[in-house]
Parts: sequence; structure tokens; C-alpha cells
Amino acid sequence: MMSFILRRLIQTLIVIGALSFFCFYLMSLMPGDPVDMMISSNPNMTSEDVSRLRELYGLDQPVYKRYLNWVSTLAQGDLGYSRTYRVPVTEILGPRLWNTFILSGLSLIFSLLVAIPLGVFAALNQGKKLDYFINFFAFAGISLPSFWLAIVLILIFAVQIPLFPASGTMSVGTDMTSFEGFFDRIKYLILPTLSLSFMSIGSFVRFTRSSMLEAMRNDYIRTARAKGLSRSRVLIVHGFRNALLPLITVVALSFSSLFSGAVITETVFAYQGVGQLVLASIQSNDFNVAMVSFMISVSMVLTMNLVADLLYGVADPRITYV
Amino acid sequence: MKRILCLIALLFSLTTELQAQRRLTAQELNIGVTQEFENFNPLIMSMMATTYMYRMVARTLNVLDENGEWVPQLAEVIPSLENGLARRTTIDGHPMIEALWKIKSNASWGDGTPVTCRDVKFSWEVALSPMVSISEKEIYDQVKEIVIDEKNPKDCLLRYREAKWTYNRLATFFIVPEHLERPIFEQFGNQAEGYEQHSNYTRNPTHPGLFNGPYRISEIKLGSHVRFERNPYFYGKPSFFERVVVKLIPNTGTLEANLRSGTIDMVSALGMSFDQAIAFDEKVKKDDLPFDVNFQPSLVYEHIDFNLDHPVLKDQVVRQALLMSIDREALTQGLFGGRQPVALHNTSPLDPWFTDDPKKIKIHPFSRRQAKRLLDQHGWVVAADGVRAKDGQRLSFTLMTTAGNRVRELVQVYLQDQWRSIGADVQVKNEPARVFFGETTRKRKFDGMAMYAWISSPESNPRSTLSSKSIPSEENGWSGQNQPGWRNARVDELVFKLDLEFDPEKRLAMIHEILFLYTSELPVLPLYYRSDVSVTPKSLRGYKLPGHQFPATNHIENWTLVDGVNEGAKL
Amino acid sequence: MSDFKPKKLWQIVWEQFKEHRLALISVCIIVFLLMLSLAAPLISKVSGLHPDQQNVFHRFVPMGTRLPFSSIAKERSLDRFLKEYDLEAFINYFETQRFFPETPREDLIYELFETHQQDELLTILSAMPDYPHKLELLKLAKSQTTFHLLGTDELGRDVFIRLIYGTRVSLSVGILVAFAAAFIGLVIGSLAGFYGGILDAALMRFTDSLLSLPLLVVLIVVSAIDLAKLVEHTPLSFFLGNENESMIKMILILCLFSWMQVARLVRGSILSLKEQEFILAAKTLGARDHLIILQHIVPNVIAPLLVAVTLGVGNSILFEAALSFLGLGIQPPTPSWGNMLNNAQEMLQHAPMLAILPGLFILVTVMSFNYIGDGLQDAIDPKAIKR
Repeated sequence: MMSFILRRLIQTLIVIGALSFFCFYLMSLMPGDPVDMMISSNPNMTSEDVSRLRELYGLDQPVYKRYLNWVSTLAQGDLGYSRTYRVPVTEILGPRLWNTFILSGLSLIFSLLVAIPLGVFAALNQGKKLDYFINFFAFAGISLPSFWLAIVLILIFAVQIPLFPASGTMSVGTDMTSFEGFFDRIKYLILPTLSLSFMSIGSFVRFTRSSMLEAMRNDYIRTARAKGLSRSRVLIVHGFRNALLPLITVVALSFSSLFSGAVITETVFAYQGVGQLVLASIQSNDFNVAMVSFMISVSMVLTMNLVADLLYGVADPRITYV
Repeated sequence: MKRILCLIALLFSLTTELQAQRRLTAQELNIGVTQEFENFNPLIMSMMATTYMYRMVARTLNVLDENGEWVPQLAEVIPSLENGLARRTTIDGHPMIEALWKIKSNASWGDGTPVTCRDVKFSWEVALSPMVSISEKEIYDQVKEIVIDEKNPKDCLLRYREAKWTYNRLATFFIVPEHLERPIFEQFGNQAEGYEQHSNYTRNPTHPGLFNGPYRISEIKLGSHVRFERNPYFYGKPSFFERVVVKLIPNTGTLEANLRSGTIDMVSALGMSFDQAIAFDEKVKKDDLPFDVNFQPSLVYEHIDFNLDHPVLKDQVVRQALLMSIDREALTQGLFGGRQPVALHNTSPLDPWFTDDPKKIKIHPFSRRQAKRLLDQHGWVVAADGVRAKDGQRLSFTLMTTAGNRVRELVQVYLQDQWRSIGADVQVKNEPARVFFGETTRKRKFDGMAMYAWISSPESNPRSTLSSKSIPSEENGWSGQNQPGWRNARVDELVFKLDLEFDPEKRLAMIHEILFLYTSELPVLPLYYRSDVSVTPKSLRGYKLPGHQFPATNHIENWTLVDGVNEGAKL
Repeated sequence: MSDFKPKKLWQIVWEQFKEHRLALISVCIIVFLLMLSLAAPLISKVSGLHPDQQNVFHRFVPMGTRLPFSSIAKERSLDRFLKEYDLEAFINYFETQRFFPETPREDLIYELFETHQQDELLTILSAMPDYPHKLELLKLAKSQTTFHLLGTDELGRDVFIRLIYGTRVSLSVGILVAFAAAFIGLVIGSLAGFYGGILDAALMRFTDSLLSLPLLVVLIVVSAIDLAKLVEHTPLSFFLGNENESMIKMILILCLFSWMQVARLVRGSILSLKEQEFILAAKTLGARDHLIILQHIVPNVIAPLLVAVTLGVGNSILFEAALSFLGLGIQPPTPSWGNMLNNAQEMLQHAPMLAILPGLFILVTVMSFNYIGDGLQDAIDPKAIKR
């Protein structure tokens, strides 16, 4: 068991390293560097200005050298300096991570709360009207363009019926410490959470339904029924418990998106999360910010993959690790 | 399930209570912008939204005001040869100029320290340091020496390297507080980017001593908002609004929703897209919403650069026919409601150097039939595929612009259709702004045409866009903005002389000659002069969109409300 | 005994599939959309509408409006008319009557059409002497209008015809990407599954790493890269650097990052197949590797692959829309549902139909593909219980 974890951990680390170079290289392929951007907005810059700045930023070096520089500063625990905002990366990234965590966490909890009962209901009523109905909504959820849903939500609940603020993270000048601050935060979270949840509810419902159906087909359900246990008890205790197993994997994987952020939803709602920051930093060639957030989301996914595998083993005694 | 519904219902009822309509009062003004901002160090800031906000918290020696006049800000008066504060001298046989800038006696930083010539000199030193990533040095570099009068440190004598008539326009000569920044500069100034990473603007951005304007920053959240409060140490009259909040809302659709739901009171010029503003204006008039949509023709010149090395477009006849065949009047009437005037050349009507006199420049009226005839006469014959050709060369090229800019994309498609009708085959190819500006236009890699805009301050020398020395090339490190690659010896000579000419009449004559050459040879196809748009509450007074690059926040202390209170920003 | 014909696999699948009513309806919808997109040029010809034809003075007109021609459209129809008919007599008449004294002779007829509204034009023309082709000329003047079933967009272009052309573009992107991704996934998955060992480990780690990347973010980065410049002087450059560049680029990018699930799926089913007797038998009989893959393994993974393809189409359409929303999608003037929706989002409060229609098309299409995938899955999976 321990050697398995160790081996997987080392593999994961190697993959993270390889991916970090891959991302760095991809970003360097995008034409135009920060100095180029400055020139385009400032017609008065001279060629001396250009070469001076390029040297100052280290942009005159080849990609691999810049990558090694980046890795070595990272190894010293320094995440670097944001070229766009001109502040240390930690200062800008920290609050964003927290915001994204709140939004994604809330929407994950909300969608699980809604989706699991719906999925179980659908499976229990398989082939009936209710099943069709739930399925239809689940499919609609996965088939909607996310920004479209977000915009429509804003139009309805912020403009036509002004219940919620149209966008933003929180009212200016409040913080989470007070009671009002907390409610203020909630008010801003409702629309983005709804729009994020709609999609994940769709896929969670589909997943719960199918794993529930799978579980219900198993022989032990029939055995349990034959033993004379009541239908509902069999379904809930035996069926659902077994259906939970594959669900754990899916939820574990969803955890990995807690810090990577939803680019589109955050952009439409002007929510101060990582997704929006990544988009902005890519567009403005802010290597340090983009790379750090890239790395966070990649490592989260890989770690959660590992965790899911381990959890699966804990939950299912038939699986052993060699 | 029921419990969830109950919870939702509870939240709904709570939010309805919290979402009571805000009324605009002297307490707080909320402004929306769509563009990102960075930290407020004026020496290195490069984003428009930062400049917009910076002018609320700090001022420069002088500035171009909303009426297009140069006015003093931190300075008592603008030195000039006429008022005797500036004089021409010669040093070692080299003609130069010196000017005495007297800083207002009550001008001081937000912590009470007076603004003096020491600040000016310190800022100049920092800006010239090779380790500081300041983007444009010329404004500082033109100053050879700064002399502080020890008895009266408010007096500042600037000696310039050369005798240029633009010496007293120092609106982008930014001043930072010496008393706060010098220790940092001395400690970190010798590391690459050391100063800016440790500066108070980065580490302690709400320090009151960093600001000398009507407001100072009380809270700054990058990517979200900045909160401003009245600065008691401001030299001018105290502003009407006690607090100002600028909110960043990147999506224009969401921005409009915020305005209508009352979360923001106004939209700055860095907000709505033009198309959206036109539609919003109609809506405001129809539903009688409490907003003014302000349109102000600006100095922004939207145009298409021809690549003069292109085998087809190097022919002047072709360029003329292409210009004559597009109905730009219909374009501005149909798409812009007539609010963005058709451009004649690179100088905007807002600029004192503008002329539309047909005797001084060449005007090409729209006539599609005439354009076709012109091409016919010069041997461009329509081939079987409907595209003209001459000597085996098809009248075909690409038109590139920035992807994602809706108005430009609309104009592009419009032009493509117009040109197709005279037998020119135009392919559309767009790139994200960073690629388009960073690579394609800068290195002249566009195969045919590139559509984008220039902004230049009034009466600025067109050297960087017209001189043949400014054609970007490997040798000059791809600097210079003469992207068409226009070479005209007379223009080269004129732009060189222009800076040194102190007689306004003669300057005007020189500019008109340049414009004549520009409009006859057509290295660039003029489209229209862009307008700035902003939305303000109906009750706001004393506000004017300037139309040039020095934003309306330069006169924020004059903004007031009628009766002091808004009628309520209801739907 | 001679009566018994074994049912072919696809027959069984089809019979099962027919049971799923919604999937069947979805197939009809998709077939209809496919036919619509194939017939787009024909519809354009019959209706006289063109997706690029603009009328800037009539932007955002409501559904079911009849509009006069734009000046370019007038000129084009006159060009065609003058090729067919000789109007010398009319032009002489205009000249003697000094209609437009400033205008050159050959432009007179154009000027007349350009400067007059349709009804004025008709009165003027009918008051003229009966020169040859007068009837045809009157007919031409009468025909110079267009009918906009779904209104017009921000450039006065017809929304109906643009939606049809948009269907063509969006569906081709979706379908091409799904098939290409399935192909890549099939190749990589079968190589990994069949050979196992180091190759398997390497390919699967590669697949996993790509899967762990935040997809949308990577797509944003890749679409900012100018592929045309990267592949210069290679055979690939043949595909890029023309009018459809942005569409081809979109397909390439989406392919590159959507084959991973398929590869995993294929590998999984091959691993389980490999242990079964008929493969072992084939191996013992000395069949070559590629024969085993082609004859035994591919037919058996086709079914799950088909499901993956149908689901992939829907996902690709959604990704195209998302990239369009960020301004990185298919470039104008080529209409796609994504960029139509993106153009309309700013005008949502002023012209909501412009956004609702393409949004609806996306929703219905993607849902249909999802239902088809669902139906196929049920039909293929022998364990699945009938609905």
C-alpha cells in the first residue's frame, strides 16, 4: 500500500514537472510579449526603450532559460511578480483562490444536494413520467452554453426583477466578519452559484441515476428482496449504498475544480475568482500569474485522481494495491 | 427537497430586503469601467483605467483640460516665452530652452508634506534610471538638468536639451513623493525592477502621502474596485462627492445591467461599446431613464494601413479607387447614428491643426461607379470569377483587425461587401489584440491591410507615424509606427523641422503641406474619427467628456449634483 | 432450419434504439438540421437572401419585415439586368430630359434607381414612353425588396439565412471534431491496450496529463497561437491561410484536446477483450497483430465509440460557442451559432431574439445529440433494461 502511494506520488510529481514546461512553452508560443503590448499603446516609445525594457524583463533570453529561471525562483518559495498588476503574485492570487473556493464549493454542495435525490428518484421511477421529466432537465443542463444561461439569469433576476446584484463579488467596503457582510456575500453568490450548478446538476443526476440502476440490477438486491425486506429499505440501504461507490470518484474529481475556477461564469458575473484572473493573465501575457494558477489546477486534478483511486480501494474491499 | 425549497424562499425574502434601491447623493459616486487596472505608480503604469483613476488622486504640473486648453495644475502658471518664465539660451553654441515652473504654494501630499521641486527632481531621477521599467522616457529625457532653489523649494528650473516648442507640455511628466520613495529607491534602485517591486505604491498603496489630488485611495482591490475618499490636503476646491468608488466590470452586457439596477451610477469612457451606447441612448429616450448618454468626438483616428510593399496596393490608383468605392457616410449614419464623423486624414477636428479646406488637402468623394471607371481605365479588368486583375495580378488582399472588437468587425464586414461590389476580393483575418499589435502590425506582417486606431494629443508631431525613419525594421528594433512603409522625402524634412519651429502660423503651413501629401498619396485609408461615450446620471453637473487622452477625472472636483440629490436611479 | 436468418448486430441495435422515443425524435431533428445545412446554398438562391448581404440603414428590424434593397443590392441587380437587356432608348431619354445633368451617361440609370424610393420610381417609370423592355424594367423595380422572416441583425443581414449557414458551420465543426477525435482516440487507445507494457504506460500517462489540464484555459492559449505561422512550409499549411482558416483552426484545436476520453474507453474495452477466447484463438492460429486489431478488436469497440462520437459532437459545439464568447471562435463574416450568439449578447436587452434563436439552436442540437448517445448506449449495452 505505502509503496503504491509512493510510486504514484513520484509519477504525479514527474507529470506535474513535464506539464509545467509544456504550459510554459505553449504560452511562449503566443506571439507578442509585454513590451510589444506597451509599444502598441504608446507611439512615442523609441527603439532604445524597447531593447532596454526587453533586457530588464529578461525577454531576450531563450525559452528554456526563462523556464529554468522561473523554476529556480519558484523553488526559493517566491511565486514572482505580476507584470500586469505590478504586485507580487501571492497578493493578487490569494484572495482570488479563496473566492473561487467559496463559489465552486457552494455550487458543488448545492448541486449534490439537488442532484442525488433527483437521480435516485429518477432511477426508482424508471420509465415513468417523472423519470422522463428529470432526465429532460438533466440533459438541458448539460446542453446549455454556460454564458448564455448566466446572461439570461442576470437579465431576469437582476434587471427585470432586481432581486440580486448583477455582478461582482461583494459590496464595496464589507467583509465576511460581520453578519451583514456574510449576507452581502451570499447575495452576490446566488446567481453565479445557480448558473454553475445547473450544468453540474445535469451530469450528477445522470450519473446517480445510472449507478443506481446498475446497483439495483445486482443479485444481492434480489437476495435481499427474497429475504423479505421491504422494497424501500432494500433500495435505500443496499441499492443506494452501492451506488455511492462510483459517486465518490466523481465527487473527488469535482473537488479538483475547487481552485481552478470557472472562466466563463466568473467573467460574466465579474466574480473575482481564479478563472477570470487566468483569462486576464493569459491575454496580457502575465507569465507568473498564469503559470502559478495553471500549476495549482493541474496539481489539484492529479492529486484528486490519486485520492479517488485510494478512496475507491478503501470503499471497495475487493480492490487491493500491489 | 422541501427543506431546500424553504431555504431558497428564505434567501429570496432576505435579499429583496437588502436590495433596496440606492439613491445617488453627495455621499458616494459609483463609476463603472470595463478595463483592468494595475497599481498606481504613475512612472510605470500603462493601463488606461489606471490613468483614469490616477487623475483623481494626483495631478501633474499642467494638463490639457476638457475644453482642449492647456491649464496649470500643480504649477501656478504655465511658463512661456511671453510671460517671461521661459527663455531661449545657447549653451556651447547649442540652442536650448529653460523654464521656471512655480509649484502652487498650497500644493501638498495627502500626509501634509508640501509638493516641491525636490519631488520633481527625484521623479526625474527615478524615471531615467536604467533599472526602472518606465515605458516612455522621452518626456523625462528631454530635460537636461533640474535646478532646485534652496531658498524656495517650490520653484523649479528645468533646463531642456533642445529648443522644442513643446517644452511646456508636461502632462505625462509624473511626480512621485520624494519623502516616501527615496529610501526605497536608494535601497532597491540598483536591482532590475527592484524599485517598482518595493515601492509604496506596491507595498502600501493606500498611504495618503502618495497622493496630491482631490481624493486619496482608501481601499484598492486589484481586479475589483478602488475606493476613494476626499483628500483634505488638496490644493484646489474640495470635491462635492465625499467618496468615489470605481468598479471593474469586464463584461459590457453585465455593465449595463449594473447601471440599470443601480449598482453603479455612471459609466466612464472606458466602458460601453459604441454600438451598445447607441442602443442604450435610444432606450434612455424611449423609457425616460434618468441617464445622459454622452457622445464626444475624440482624437482617435480609425483607419486602415495599406502595406505599401503589397504588389497590388503599392499602386496609388488602386488605393484611390478603394477609398472612393466605400460609402463611409452611410457607414457612420447607419452604424453609428451619425455620431462618428467620416475622417479626411489623420488629424481630428478637435485638433487646432485640422483642416477640411479642399484647397489645402485632397478630398475623395464617394462614387462607386467612378471608382470602377478608374480601375477600368488603368487596366484592371473584371475576370470570370468577378475579381479584377491586371498583368496576371488579382485585385485580392487580406484585411486584418483585432478579433473581439465588435465595432471593428462590423466595419470590416461592411467594407468587405463594398469592395466586393467593385471587383476586389478581400479576405478577412482577425487576431487577438496582443498578436495583432504585438506582432502583425508592429513587424509589418500584414498581407494587405490592417485596420486599427491612433490616438495622438492635439498638435503632436506625426513623426512616429509618417517619417520614413519610423518604418519598423529589424535594424531599428521594430520601433516606429510607420506601418504602411511610406517614404516621402518632403514629409521627412517637414516633420524634422516642425519641432523646432516656434511660430504657430508657420507650423500650421507645414502641417497642411504634410496633410496634402498624405491625402494625395494615400498611404493610409482614413475611415472615421471615433467618439468617446460615457453614461452619467441626469442630475450630474459640471461633467464633460474631454475626447482626448487626459480623462474627465481631471476635473472631478467640479462634478456636482443638481439640488445635491438624484431623483433616484430607478428603472 | 433454413428459415432462420441470424440478425445482424446493427439490426438488433436499431430495434433496441427505436424503443427510445426521445432518441428517435432527436435523430429526426438532427437529420432535418443536416438537410437544412446541405440545402443552404439552394435556400439562398431561391429566397434571394445571402448571409453576407447587408443593409446598414435597417438594422435590428423585427421578424417578418419587408425591406427595400440596399444601394449595393440595387446596383448588383441592375448590373445583371443590363447584361441581359439593352436600355439604350431609356438612357437617351434621360439624357435629353436632363435628369441628372452632372452624372456621366452610363451612370444615369443607376443614379435614377439609387436616388428614388420604390413607389416614386414606379410612377416615374410608368410615366415614361413605351421604349423596349419597359415591362421588364418595371418588374425589376418592383422586385427590389427582401423579406426578412426572422428580422435582421446588427448589420442589417438576414437572420434566417445566417442561422441556416450557421447550422452548416457549427454542425460541421461538431461532427468533424467528434470523428477526428474518435479516430485519434481509437489509434492511441488500441496501441496502448493491445501492446501494453511501456508503450501503454507512456501513452496513458500522456493521456492523463492532457486530461488534467484545464481544458478551456489551454484552448484559450492555443487559439491565441498563430498556427499558420507554426506550420509554415509544411503540408499542413495547405489547409490554413485561406478563407476558412479560423474554422479549420478551430477544428484542429478542438481535436487536439478531445480524444483522451475515447482513448481511455478504447483501451479499457480492448484490455477486457484481450482476455477472451476468440482473440487467444486467433493468436494461437498465428494471425498478425494488425489483422487481429482490424478484424476482431475494432468491430467490438465500434459500439462504445459511436456513443462517444455522438456525445463528442454536442461537446464540440458547446466549446465552439464558449470560445466564440471569449472572442476566439470562428471569425466573421462566417456565421456560426457561437459567434452569432456572442454578437447578440450585448444587445440582449434591445434585440433579444438575436440571442435567443442561436441559443435555442445550440440547446436543441446538443440535447438531441445527448439523447441519441443515450439511446445508443441503451441499445448497445445488452444489460440495459428497456425503458
